[in-house]
Amino acid sequence: MGEPVIQLRGVSKAYRKGGQTLVVLDGLDMDVERGEFLALMGPSGSGKSTILNLIGGLDLPDSGSVVVAGASVPDLRGDALSSWRARHTGYVFQAFNLIPVLTALESVELPLLLTPLSKAERREQARYALEIVGLADRLDHRPKQLSGGQEQRVAIARAIAMDPTILLCDEPTGDLDRDSADQVLELLARLSAEHDKTVVMVTHDQKAGDDATRILHLDKGVVEDADA
Amino acid sequence: MNLGRLVRRQALSHPVRALLTIGAVAVAIFLLCFLRSIVTSLDAAVKESSGRRIITASAVSLFQALPASYNEAIAAIDGVDTVSRFTWFGGVYKDPENFFAQFGTDPELLLSQYPEIALSEEAKQAWFDDKRGAIVGIGIAEKFGWEVGDTVPILGTIFPRPGDEPWEFTIHGIYRSTRANVDEMTMYFHWSYLDESIESGDSMGPRGTSVYLIRLEDGWEGEEVAQAIDDYYAGGPQRTRTQPEAAFQADFVNMMGNLPTFLGMIGAAVLVAILFGVVNTMTIAARERLRSMGILKSVGFSDRIPLRLYLMESTMLVLLGGGIGIGLAFVTQAPLRAVFGAFIPVYHIATETYLAAVVTCIAVGLISGLVPAIRAARLKPIEALRRGT
Repeated sequence: MGEPVIQLRGVSKAYRKGGQTLVVLDGLDMDVERGEFLALMGPSGSGKSTILNLIGGLDLPDSGSVVVAGASVPDLRGDALSSWRARHTGYVFQAFNLIPVLTALESVELPLLLTPLSKAERREQARYALEIVGLADRLDHRPKQLSGGQEQRVAIARAIAMDPTILLCDEPTGDLDRDSADQVLELLARLSAEHDKTVVMVTHDQKAGDDATRILHLDKGVVEDADA
Repeated sequence: MNLGRLVRRQALSHPVRALLTIGAVAVAIFLLCFLRSIVTSLDAAVKESSGRRIITASAVSLFQALPASYNEAIAAIDGVDTVSRFTWFGGVYKDPENFFAQFGTDPELLLSQYPEIALSEEAKQAWFDDKRGAIVGIGIAEKFGWEVGDTVPILGTIFPRPGDEPWEFTIHGIYRSTRANVDEMTMYFHWSYLDESIESGDSMGPRGTSVYLIRLEDGWEGEEVAQAIDDYYAGGPQRTRTQPEAAFQADFVNMMGNLPTFLGMIGAAVLVAILFGVVNTMTIAARERLRSMGILKSVGFSDRIPLRLYLMESTMLVLLGGGIGIGLAFVTQAPLRAVFGAFIPVYHIATETYLAAVVTCIAVGLISGLVPAIRAARLKPIEALRRGT
């Protein structure tokens, strides 16, 4: 086993709400290996999404270290954090988060605008990402013209367009019917297995365990148990 | 795909709102150009006046005629090169709505004093030779469809004819002006025709002349000669007030009250109104785009991306509207000159006004985009995604 691509040590995070302090993570240690497909499960408020936000640099820990792809994420600021995020992470959200006025191809091309690629190269790479998710025939469709499952696959194509190290998925099947959810889970598993992507997925979906290589159960900010 | 296309699509995703904003900016910028041009047009007439000319009027009032006999005495004063008589006729073409300026004058002297009045030698000669002849500015000729050779009836209001018969003038020339101090909305005819008509009983009205236009000899200062004329008539029979042409023109502008301040206040109000309008549009649009901003930040765009996109969107909307407004102001110059010709005969839009309009557009665009952009730039990606609709 090599160096973990994600390493959390003694991570604590608390929020203040209505005058009360809510401890979400309490000295969490966690390692994720390259190419792993990890499912984070647990009840609401157990800290699953917070872990995802800390890994992606969307939030800061109160204490502890978060090292992702060799970088100490809490130490990154401003443009350095933005470009690190563009290079190493791809986000997939429950609500798809596609920009309504852009076609599938344009949505996937969006992060590639941050690269020095030419217009033709960007389009080619975006087309390839859409092929991987099985939407080569929906390039010019806008979100309104796509089903929920297709929208989420476009979002996954956008997340992998920059060929990031890690895919961070926050309830990616939460808004989908069973069939679409299965397709998305299968796709994420394939990206992990065939394309060497490290996938960290927050989910309530019990079936996710079938596709994930590891499941971490969280409760009250600590790892309750882990299934391989 | 590029960010410009994204901005364009998002701005036009609510076409009615975008069109209303563009339309409001277009009207406001047109109004700004129009109001500013009234002031600059009147100013131009003052600024472009010649320092080589002075004007003598009655010290009592501009509407009080001076005796015709002053002509020769003024001509004899040191420093005076030529003197021409100049009488406000106050007539209308067919009906009172068609009011415009007409002056009885000494044709040859006037044209020698005012080289700004551009007319062919042939037209000049024809006018000099015909006592009932007249010349008219291109603006007034176009307004009424007059051509050289036409005989036009003008009803006298200060100088009525028996039985309210109109005066008849034959047009021998249509002039253009080469400077802003001379307008193209005036008719000039022979002062002697007017004077002889009154003398013979063919017309009623005061004899004399409204003002004397005086060209100075080289080497003389206007103030010095003006003082000499006013001193000469200090004891009557009627006292005079002699001023440089620019001061005389400025007096005319001041007769309308403090117009520049008044128009400036309206202009400022228009400016504030469009600023509020566009800020409002951009605030609503920005709220709708919060999620998009969160998406862009989460895929790796920097925190400054809202700043860039909102500024592009607001500037695009304002420049589109502003462009239409400026275009409208440009093409309506001639029609507005025809409508307001009697009051603002030299109405035109100065280059500085176009520049001011463009600068205004850019400033309104930047300010209105900046307000929501700063707020969006401060939001963490996750907050932007959560708050976005």
